Amino acid sequence: MAHGPSTMPAHGLPAAGRAPSLRRWDGLGYVLPAFLLLAFFFVLPVVALLLRSVLEPTPGLENFAKLLTTPTYAQVFLNTFTVAGVVTLASLLAGFPVAWLLAVLPGRWAAFLFGVILLSMWTNLLARTYAWMVLLQRTGVINRALMDVGLIDAPLPLIRNLAGVTIGMTYIMLPFVILPLHATLRAIDPAVLQAASLCGANRWQAFRRVLLPLSLPGVAAGSLMVFVMSLGYFVTPALLGGASTMMLAELIAQLVQSLLDWGMGGAAAFVLLVVTLALYALQVRFLGSGRMTAGGAG
Amino acid sequence: MLLTFERMGALRWILVLWGVLVAAFLLLPVLFIVALSFGSSRWLQFPPPAWTLRWYQELLADPRWLDSILTSFKVAALVTVASVLLGLLAAFGLVRGRFPGREVLRAFFLTPMILPVVVLAVALYALFLRVGLNGTLAGFVIGHLILALPFSIISITGALEGFDKAIEDAAVVCGAHPFEAKLRVTLPALKLGLFGAAVFSFLVSWDEVIVAIFMASPTLQTFPVRIWGVLRQDLSPVIAAASSLLVLLTLVLMAAAALVRRGSRR
Repeated sequence: MAHGPSTMPAHGLPAAGRAPSLRRWDGLGYVLPAFLLLAFFFVLPVVALLLRSVLEPTPGLENFAKLLTTPTYAQVFLNTFTVAGVVTLASLLAGFPVAWLLAVLPGRWAAFLFGVILLSMWTNLLARTYAWMVLLQRTGVINRALMDVGLIDAPLPLIRNLAGVTIGMTYIMLPFVILPLHATLRAIDPAVLQAASLCGANRWQAFRRVLLPLSLPGVAAGSLMVFVMSLGYFVTPALLGGASTMMLAELIAQLVQSLLDWGMGGAAAFVLLVVTLALYALQVRFLGSGRMTAGGAG
Repeated sequence: MLLTFERMGALRWILVLWGVLVAAFLLLPVLFIVALSFGSSRWLQFPPPAWTLRWYQELLADPRWLDSILTSFKVAALVTVASVLLGLLAAFGLVRGRFPGREVLRAFFLTPMILPVVVLAVALYALFLRVGLNGTLAGFVIGHLILALPFSIISITGALEGFDKAIEDAAVVCGAHPFEAKLRVTLPALKLGLFGAAVFSFLVSWDEVIVAIFMASPTLQTFPVRIWGVLRQDLSPVIAAASSLLVLLTLVLMAAAALVRRGSRR
């Protein structure tokens, strides 16, 4: 095991005189504190939680059987995947033109738009969710405005249902699809599109056959990231949703905290974990690991 | 053509219009909350019938709010220090070490970022119930440190990879002890990476709510946990005041980050 800084091969003096076996482990001591922290307070508790899913109340797979056959839980899975899917699609449709605009705007305006996106992204999640709770409530600004202009007669139910969750989460996820898409669009050489136009392509053909295909890695990276993040979201669904719109993360919290059913909680956590890791593996496999950036906690 | 602003014709105005709409969508809720926090209506009427500082007074006069803010600061400060220190050490090992399995280890260090936070929260909750760390400052710090460390490691490894080690070697050749060379040559060169690590670590901890909900006790909670608890009851305008303070903090940190970036470019 390596130890203090003086055994690092890094200090520049030729390491020729040193035994190779010792050099092989150089630097390991440096990563040890972080490794031990994660081993004890990350890997150990997560593995213990997952084990409880097959050990409690009796050893076996009955928790998973219950999870997959009970209609209440099926509804939770349906909610989770529906919201994640709709949010991903909505963020992508709303975010693509913005990413495109960011890639072509003159510097000063692009910087301003970036500022707005980052401000929204960095603002506390609870603060942003609170904003939507107030905006979407029965007597909220949105309902009042719609009634004032005569579009509706009675307030729309925009909160405590899937509509509320979807609006709130799209708001939160938009930056996570705009940023990777922008990076991809930015990297496309404008000359490629000039070439398309010289070859006789009109705007639509240039978009459809050149720009869109070239932007697909960014589209895939952004949407996979938003989808994965949405699957495990907790705060926004809990505050903007209702009893019938429960999502997987809330279910896990409730099973453990209110019902003290650690076996079922572990099983639900196991499912969420497996789906998340599988989608992440897909991302790494097809898009390279560099694209998955900050997840953000929700 | 499609990537040159001047040559996009009418399309560019469609994009600009869409950009304005989305920017408004992103910005207005934040401004709305700030406006409400100064509004006099208990029922969050908008536009507010009159302006007042009452909600800020209520917030700052309530020891439960103040305690939670203080707890959040303590936790975030401790997390920041620990995360930068551990991140710095780990970055040296990952970038300069030659041991096998380095790449696997690097990926392992980033897994807390992709794992759903609720899974970590529940798992830690179970462990801490057993060892008696629930409802303690140490419990909050450990939980948040797990989530902050990946950001620290990314930021500092990035800086260290961009640093030319020959400069550190030169200091050693000129007679500096290797440790002194690291301390006085390498560390100052990494300051942007260290600053980024500190800001991200602080923000991760300061804003974190899920692990904190599970870690909190009636007597010890962080600011977000207190907001969460009140929000479950009603939409009190005091929350608007609390949220506005959080927006202000975000603005301050963004401005600081912009200044540091500008300063380093010179």
